[in-house]
Amino acid sequence: MFDRDDDIVERVVRQLRQPVSIDPALDARVLKQIADGPARPVAAPRSRFQWRRWPWLAAAAVLGAILVARPWTAGNDTAASSAFQFVLVAPQASTVALVGDFNDWDPARSPMQTAQGVWATTVPLAPGRYRYAFLVNGVEWRADPGAPRARDDEFGTPSSVITVGGNGS
Amino acid sequence: MSQPLGINRVEASDAELVRRVRTGDIGAYGALVARYRDRLGRYAVHMLGDREDAEEALQDSFVRAYRSLERCDDPARFGAWLYGILVNRCRTSGARAARRRRMFVRDVDALHGATHADQADRVEWSDEVNRALARLAPEYREAFLLKHVEDLEYEEMVRLTGAGVSALKMRVKRAREQLQKFLKEAEHV
Repeated sequence: MFDRDDDIVERVVRQLRQPVSIDPALDARVLKQIADGPARPVAAPRSRFQWRRWPWLAAAAVLGAILVARPWTAGNDTAASSAFQFVLVAPQASTVALVGDFNDWDPARSPMQTAQGVWATTVPLAPGRYRYAFLVNGVEWRADPGAPRARDDEFGTPSSVITVGGNGS
Repeated sequence: MSQPLGINRVEASDAELVRRVRTGDIGAYGALVARYRDRLGRYAVHMLGDREDAEEALQDSFVRAYRSLERCDDPARFGAWLYGILVNRCRTSGARAARRRRMFVRDVDALHGATHADQADRVEWSDEVNRALARLAPEYREAFLLKHVEDLEYEEMVRLTGAGVSALKMRVKRAREQLQKFLKEAEHV
């Protein structure tokens, strides 16, 4: 079957160079573990704000959303705000906006940025209870499958709830 | 559907994504994970010989890289830096797998389900290669995969493995000899 020893190695190499497909759900598992775990120092916090603690995670899923909170203090204000990073894994979407009580449900105020199908944006939230949703492609309202669904949505579209405590959690 | 002329898909560079991650953009890290998932996954699957172990090692490597991202001195070479973390992680995982004496049986069902002789031959060859690879000593397998499958230069392999060039060349040579021997034996079974 083999004429020369080198032929064997060449065939082995060709076989091993075949692409290997890893479950894309690994991406969401990595992001969830990161958000669940200990803090990584942040290099460049926004001006006005000082980072104090690191993120906690609400939920993650392959086509679901990941919500990360980064509490900070706002300058000399006495009331603490918290920065929440919302992440939606939606590879097929062409645009995604975060809308909610905190931005008057205005898609133009919190457009999400994408990197290979992972959409993200960060908004500061003061303590309180907020309803929110993702607006995909300008027409599709999507609740956060990893967060509690809003039960009092008078508009009839899916939405989720986030409650920010006084300590930014 | 064809892409309109004059519109090109522009992807963020590794350096740009690393910069965004460092300012707190976890979504940018998701993009890096998606970019390197399959590329590094191939090495992990071949090195560990088990897809479940490989995915565990891969996930752990991505998380470790994120948590120590400040130590990535050259963000433009994020991939090479990440590779080093995975190589180390596979060594640890490989030692555990060896203790469990897990054997490569993944493609047996595929072999039985093959409908054409040619397809069966390909599956059988894949199994033989995997079994031969699994019989190599881990340091030989590591050197062979990095040199011949991942196509790295010896200088890069030195950086990843901590071994010297002459030692690595010897490992690659032994790996080639042993693969030839194992596969010839399989041919005559």
